[in-house]
Amino acid sequence: MASASPSPTPILILDRVSKRFAGHTAVDDLSLSVPRGVIYGLLGPNGAGKTTTLRMIMDILEPDAGAVRLFGDPGGGRRHSERIGYLPEERGLYRKMRVLDVLVFLGEMKGMDRRRAGQQAGDWLARLGLADWRLRRVDELSKGMQQKVQFIATVLHDPDLVILDEPFSGLDPVNTQVMKDVVLDLHGRGKTILFSTHIMEQAEKLCEQLCIIARGRKLVDGALSDIKRTHGGHHLVIGFDGNPGAAAHLFADKELVSRVDNYGQYAELELAAGADAQRLLAGLVSSGARLSRFELQEASLHKIFIDLVGPEPAGDGSSRE
Amino acid sequence: MSRVGAVIRREFVERVRRKSFWVMAMLGPVFFAAVFLVPLLLSQGGGVRRLVVVDRTTTAFGAAVAARLDSTRGFVVVRRIPGAPGVEDSLAGEVGARRIEGFLLLSDSLLDAGTAEYRASNVSSLDDIGLLRETLGRVAENARLERAGVNPRVVAQAQLRVSLQTNKITRGRTTGESAGQSFALAYFMMVTLYVALLLYGVQVMGSVIDEKASRIVEVLVSSVRPFQLLFGKVLGVGAVSLLQFLIWGVAGRALLGQRAALMSHMTDGGQEMGQIFQAPHVSLATAVVFVAFFLGGFFLYSAMFAAVAAMSSTEQEARQSQAPVTVLIMIAFFSSFATLANPESRLSVALSLVPFTSPIATPARWAAGNLSWIDVTTSFVLLVIGTVAVTWIAARIYRVGILMTGKRPNLRELGRWIRAG
Repeated sequence: MASASPSPTPILILDRVSKRFAGHTAVDDLSLSVPRGVIYGLLGPNGAGKTTTLRMIMDILEPDAGAVRLFGDPGGGRRHSERIGYLPEERGLYRKMRVLDVLVFLGEMKGMDRRRAGQQAGDWLARLGLADWRLRRVDELSKGMQQKVQFIATVLHDPDLVILDEPFSGLDPVNTQVMKDVVLDLHGRGKTILFSTHIMEQAEKLCEQLCIIARGRKLVDGALSDIKRTHGGHHLVIGFDGNPGAAAHLFADKELVSRVDNYGQYAELELAAGADAQRLLAGLVSSGARLSRFELQEASLHKIFIDLVGPEPAGDGSSRE
Repeated sequence: MSRVGAVIRREFVERVRRKSFWVMAMLGPVFFAAVFLVPLLLSQGGGVRRLVVVDRTTTAFGAAVAARLDSTRGFVVVRRIPGAPGVEDSLAGEVGARRIEGFLLLSDSLLDAGTAEYRASNVSSLDDIGLLRETLGRVAENARLERAGVNPRVVAQAQLRVSLQTNKITRGRTTGESAGQSFALAYFMMVTLYVALLLYGVQVMGSVIDEKASRIVEVLVSSVRPFQLLFGKVLGVGAVSLLQFLIWGVAGRALLGQRAALMSHMTDGGQEMGQIFQAPHVSLATAVVFVAFFLGGFFLYSAMFAAVAAMSSTEQEARQSQAPVTVLIMIAFFSSFATLANPESRLSVALSLVPFTSPIATPARWAAGNLSWIDVTTSFVLLVIGTVAVTWIAARIYRVGILMTGKRPNLRELGRWIRAG
């Protein structure tokens, strides 16, 4: 998934955007920047403000403060809707309409002319194995088929920017694969993908860049590799070959170690913030400890996420925006 | 604008494609025929009454009554019998056995005191009783005058019935339209407007709730403004309603052509009723007033129906919450009957100035009365102002409501939605 080097002007910029609803702040002073051509993840627990953020980008909600810039222009997505594909978390179709008619209509809503929309819809339906269903009513389709129709509706007009809100939620394994393939295919053709998720494993596999938010605020953003480098590396695994030396004494030093799980011949520990693993290593060696293993482990995104968001990540889960 | 066009097109095509549209197209004229004919048929009471005249008079008067009754279309005199004791009981038995419908007890007191007795299985039919009373009175009057020595020919001349010809003057011109015709036209327009406002207002509501419940609305409002979506929707459904009117109009014309044949099956009263329900002449001006006020009312009420739908999460919920809007349309309809009775009364004028009632009241007044173009224009301008104001509020509720799920908003939250827009 090597991407072309991102072009200098970001495709999307959020500049100190805030949105308040009666009683609570859903998004608080959020800034981020999505370069062209990347797969960008907006990560956060439920209720973090992801959907509200995407809705502000799409012009469905207006920010109370701050500005959205898309394709270098100020303003939300409605003015650029022919260049943006949007798949909301809550997806739906007109149940009583024919599949092809729905797709043509949604294509028209994105500024396509009817003929081209019909052609593209036909191609996509064939590609996802729904060619025989084009003239059937939507409510005759299985849930999985309807999900495919929803993907098609999102990308029918060949958008430059695709915004997907929790794209994998509710998908069966087959459609998860289809979705992933569609995303990678778009990415391969130079499109930008912005998606939100609370499932870190997916984000870790797909995203090049990401932003983690919780309770409406940004905790960290940037390239996945940078985030891992700066926020990872605190997790240390140590194996002893007989003599642990002054290990127990060193592990108790709160300046060095924040948490430890010591088995005597094996220990897993978290380095304290700002602590240097080399100091610990030097201390162990000088105390006569024999080491079979001393490994700084790269933290998983999940781990980084939990560390950043804290132990009660759900926030006030009632505030689904 | 092409996106609004796509919304209009979808609403129109999807509706016209549905079977229910064509069922309505067929059933519409049948429904309207029923609206007019059922009251007629009910008042007819069903056919000719067979009766027996029990004649206890001492003159030829009893025979004259029997002959006169027999000549009406409402009654057949099966026989005239002298008043033997116990005859009432045996005749009551005949009524019970449904061989006759009733019997009339005549004596000299009819001439002297003006009393007679009618016993029958049904004595509540106003038509029957009225006809009977009129016939008896006429014969008795004749007999009394003759008894007083008046020449029977003079009596016959004096009793010539008045035939009052009605001719409506509209905007200073005699139209050749009878009282019955203008009543029929006004009544017809009221029923049509009432049914259409309800029918198509509810369709707008259904369309909004459909998009909201299926959540597709979120994709739509990322491409068009909520107001554009609402506007396109209302125009699309409005176009469907105009097509429906066109079909009904053509079918109605054809049906009215057959009206004479239908009416000829009616009895005595049928002639009078037939006169009342003559095919009204629909002038171009009338058609314009009708369509203009329909569209005004349709926009007004659709906006309200759309707001109701936006506040609700499911179709059931919307149906429960639509009552205030539906009741408003019903008030408009029923209060407009006042304009039929007296198009110039203060109430009628008020009804045609209030935007919620004027879509039905003003066309009714136009058809029934003598409205000037200034009256109509004033009413229409007020309707447009009202519609714009209501649409402005409804669009704000719509805009917030279509993205909300869960609990229905209370009035305070609703106020916040309107201000937030």
